[in-house]
Amino acid sequence: MTATLVIDRAGPLVTVQDAGRFGYLAHGISASGPMDAGAFKRAGLLAGSGETAGIEFSMLGLDLTVAEGEAVMGWDGGTFEVSINGRTQSWPGSALLAAGDRLSISAATGGNYGYLRFGGEIDVPVVMGSRATSMRARIGGLEGRALRAGDRLAVIGDGEASGPVAARPRVEGPIRFVWGLHAEVFSAELREKFVPSAFRISSMMDRMGVRLRDETAVFAEARILSLVSDPIVVGDIQILGDGTPIVLGRDHQPTGGYPRIGTIISADLDRFFQLRPNAELVFAPVGTDHAQALLRSGIA
Amino acid sequence: MVQTLGDSTILVRFGSRLDENANRRAIGFAAALESEPVAGIVEIVPSLVSVLLRYDPLISRHQDIEGEIRLRLHGALEDLAGATRRIGVRFGGETGPDLEEVAGLLKVSAEEFMARHNAVPLRVLATGFAPGFVYCGFHPETLVLPRRDKVRALVPAGSVLFAAGQTAIAATDIPTGWHVIGHTDFSNFNPAAEPPTRLRAGDSVRFEVT
Repeated sequence: MTATLVIDRAGPLVTVQDAGRFGYLAHGISASGPMDAGAFKRAGLLAGSGETAGIEFSMLGLDLTVAEGEAVMGWDGGTFEVSINGRTQSWPGSALLAAGDRLSISAATGGNYGYLRFGGEIDVPVVMGSRATSMRARIGGLEGRALRAGDRLAVIGDGEASGPVAARPRVEGPIRFVWGLHAEVFSAELREKFVPSAFRISSMMDRMGVRLRDETAVFAEARILSLVSDPIVVGDIQILGDGTPIVLGRDHQPTGGYPRIGTIISADLDRFFQLRPNAELVFAPVGTDHAQALLRSGIA
Repeated sequence: MVQTLGDSTILVRFGSRLDENANRRAIGFAAALESEPVAGIVEIVPSLVSVLLRYDPLISRHQDIEGEIRLRLHGALEDLAGATRRIGVRFGGETGPDLEEVAGLLKVSAEEFMARHNAVPLRVLATGFAPGFVYCGFHPETLVLPRRDKVRALVPAGSVLFAAGQTAIAATDIPTGWHVIGHTDFSNFNPAAEPPTRLRAGDSVRFEVT
């Protein structure tokens, strides 16, 4: 089965993503991949995508038309409105779209990122083992950039049978982290204040990082030292020179020299990256064992 | 020092400030792990004074990885004899706008600065900051300057940068607060090649005037 898709409208940050381009941090390239990896996977199960690439979109969604052929599509992540030829569909969901069909995804009412996946592979070149777009390195996906109106994508090959999809996780409460590389750079008093304090997601957020608003001025008095650079990992909570906390995203810089007070655990990353600007959050420390047990249990 | 970093990586640190010894140990330890892999470690990232090790937390427990790494730290580090590469640089001019200022701050002529800058081979200390971006060091104390006060929003790939007793090469267009002293045609990032970068930490670099 093959299909040609034409993008009619793309909001900001609509990119081709697969599971990620791992193994190149030593060359200065972070892994990229879906900001909400769980939703990406669930959309893929709905479409029978296997390991193929999909499209990540942000709050304003996208519209596309099937110009030729047909393809199974599945969608999940956040809460968006979706329609085919003007008829509202369920979210999450899936459908077989044929030539002439128009899929419209708009206006997220919850979350920042949604995913559209296909029963087939998106025909863009594999760059360093992956089709994921790195907005930072400007490689992968379609010409290393975000998709825009007028772009054409071919979906080729047959998908797998669509499988049963696990329920979407319904975890709420604090964002859990393990104390970071430079936790000791901060005073014990500051660390005690950090844990119960409320932060807000600022409007300065993208695939590279999410700046937080430090509502209770936890870091206002902290003297932030510049340290020798170390490699960065996704979820690192880095405190900038002016006291602004920033959580590093999937397109993170490869190295950094600002102190990191903690790192959000893998099991909570998807949930964190779906928090919208102005959402309030608190952090809760857990041990590495606990973080790994949560990941293994799969219930997050 | 072995530190946990998140729930999927550990960081082995050889110093809290950048110096020759810590950098050589980090590069040597990474090389030793490359030649004799530790089961469960899926990515090895040497950096300026540390080595990041990534593992799959669904398969490996951090205690097991950390225990094995502590044992390995007692072993000998490889002193990596890297490749040697000559890199031609057009100093000054439009693509090296800070050359005269840098020479002035160091109280030498531009010619004298270039001669001293190129006098001794440097080591590639690490790749980082951006794709293919390499730090090379160390220059003698007489060639140490802090970074500029102002950051340039974008300098082109191939820019040769100078600060903090090091020379760096930008392989992509980047913002930088370093002094831009010249330009090279040497490209250290090609996403179509495997590996995508040509210089490795531990390699020796000799800069030349072209």
